[in-house]
Amino acid sequence: MTRILQSDKLDNCVARWREAGLTVIGPVKNESSSSYAAVEKAAEFDFSLIMPDRSIKELFFPQTEPMLHYTIKKQRIDTSDFTPPPEKRIIFGARPCDASGLAIDDPLFGWDYKDNFWFQRRDTTVIVTIACTKADDFCMCTSLKLAPDSTKGSDVLLRPLQNNKGWQVEELTDRGRDAFNEIADLLQDGSGPAAPTAVVAEKFNLDACVAWLQNPENFESTFWREISMRCIGCASCTFLCPTCHCFDFQDEGDTYSGIRRKNWDSCSFALFTMHTSGHNPRATQSARWRQRIMHKFNYFPGKFNVNSCSGCGRCSRQCPVDMGITETLQAISTLPS
Amino acid sequence: MTIQETYKARVKKLLASGTVKMVIGYKPGTTADRRRPHFIRTPEEADQLVLDSACITNLSGYLLSEGLLSDEKAVAIFLKPDGIRSINILAAEAQLNSEQILILGFDSNDNQVTALEGEKVEEFTTLIESIKEQAPEALKNPLLEQIEGMTPKERFAFWQGEFSRCIKCYACRQACPMCYCRRCIVDCNQPQWVNTSSHTLGNFEWNIVRAFHLSGRCVGCGNCDRACPVNIPLRLINAKMAQEVLGAFDHFSGMSHTQEPVLASFKKDDSETFIL
Repeated sequence: MTRILQSDKLDNCVARWREAGLTVIGPVKNESSSSYAAVEKAAEFDFSLIMPDRSIKELFFPQTEPMLHYTIKKQRIDTSDFTPPPEKRIIFGARPCDASGLAIDDPLFGWDYKDNFWFQRRDTTVIVTIACTKADDFCMCTSLKLAPDSTKGSDVLLRPLQNNKGWQVEELTDRGRDAFNEIADLLQDGSGPAAPTAVVAEKFNLDACVAWLQNPENFESTFWREISMRCIGCASCTFLCPTCHCFDFQDEGDTYSGIRRKNWDSCSFALFTMHTSGHNPRATQSARWRQRIMHKFNYFPGKFNVNSCSGCGRCSRQCPVDMGITETLQAISTLPS
Repeated sequence: MTIQETYKARVKKLLASGTVKMVIGYKPGTTADRRRPHFIRTPEEADQLVLDSACITNLSGYLLSEGLLSDEKAVAIFLKPDGIRSINILAAEAQLNSEQILILGFDSNDNQVTALEGEKVEEFTTLIESIKEQAPEALKNPLLEQIEGMTPKERFAFWQGEFSRCIKCYACRQACPMCYCRRCIVDCNQPQWVNTSSHTLGNFEWNIVRAFHLSGRCVGCGNCDRACPVNIPLRLINAKMAQEVLGAFDHFSGMSHTQEPVLASFKKDDSETFIL
């Protein structure tokens, strides 16, 4: 029997989870921007958003994060590690594309060593995803073989009820079950009809794109220059992307002591690959855009067997010059491989 | 014939005759309200050209794309008055030769697009002078006045809140026609002069450095403000600096292609009795 969580009980759930020591996080919109942010009351959530402007990534991989404190002495260097706060969290109302993005990045952060900054947060966060009943012109999850009700990366999937008064609860993992056991008495048995999931048209043929990208002859194609001519080289697409994960180390302090930080970095920047000699192997914006597409749909799947894109569409939605993955892959779809 | 069609015919003629090698304009975007920059090199490519009130991006920054102007061939570009002023600044700062630029001027008010007479940047001087006349009024903004009414502490808190969303994507810089430095100060990393971290200090450093660097240079096109993915009201900072520079030095950016940059010029009759 499916269980139902009614919207009017959500405030009690938030209170219950908070009493149990969980930080409750969800989609929040203020005047100018939206993100996944901590709330105290259910009324602070905004489930009407297609998705928050900022992806869920920053809750696991913050834009800037201290890694270690260093002190340089005459004969030795002392360091002390920072570790992420051992806070337990529940993210209520993640979008399936955001949750999938986390699952896509898990093998990356656990590849040659286990990145504790990522996994400590992953291990202590419950992800409760709400299936999408609305999409906009930029959504493209179906093109990535995902769906508006994908369960990938989620601990619980909620399907909005047709009457808009609650959600069907689908527990997917033990972590999800534990979190919902906390509020078991606030749930109802039953299975009111779920609202239809959003219709997201397939925008490009992924397999055809991947085949074209895998053909080494296309690496030097003039296509890259044409498609990226208007790219201005900012990092809006990479920083809003739920799967882009590149970072830079920065030491902040003086000669004797300071903090080493991990900051988001972007392949869109010329500085990203600049050598100390001044030579830049990715000297042009088209080479940088090619890298972004190749990384997501050729190199990353080559290593981890999954595309580094969950189809949220933020790259196109927020691009100052209306570029993005959709346009590029649509164009590639039409090229002979 | 609509203005769009008139301009389309003109663009085709400019390309067919070889008068210009490229026209930078607009084409349809992903959604009905979006326009994309469009680089037109053949008369056929002009078929996609769009000119309407949704064409708001100041395209002048593309003129500095590496190698574009180095063959000394002419390039035509669709510009609103703010973009035309950008050409004057870029020429005054020796970033381009305005002789090479053929302006396809337009303006839009109340969703109506009107054509602007002229091709060379000098031909728009009267228009720019009239914009300067209106500037003290046009630069006014209720939110700006509200911020000016705050105590320094409140003001600091306001900007701290706004800047706290900054993710250091540098979309503001990249979208700005005036941010053409080959190597931005934040990218100078030996030593790292400006923190790249998006913590409070780093965010203040970046946004204040940029505000000063744009003082007397910003034309208020709004590219930075629209590009910001987290909607920091950058227009307020630039409008405030424009007000200051206008009030203190009677300097309005982009008046002519020989106008001296306000922060790089010295006048003996300057009202200040000292140099900082």
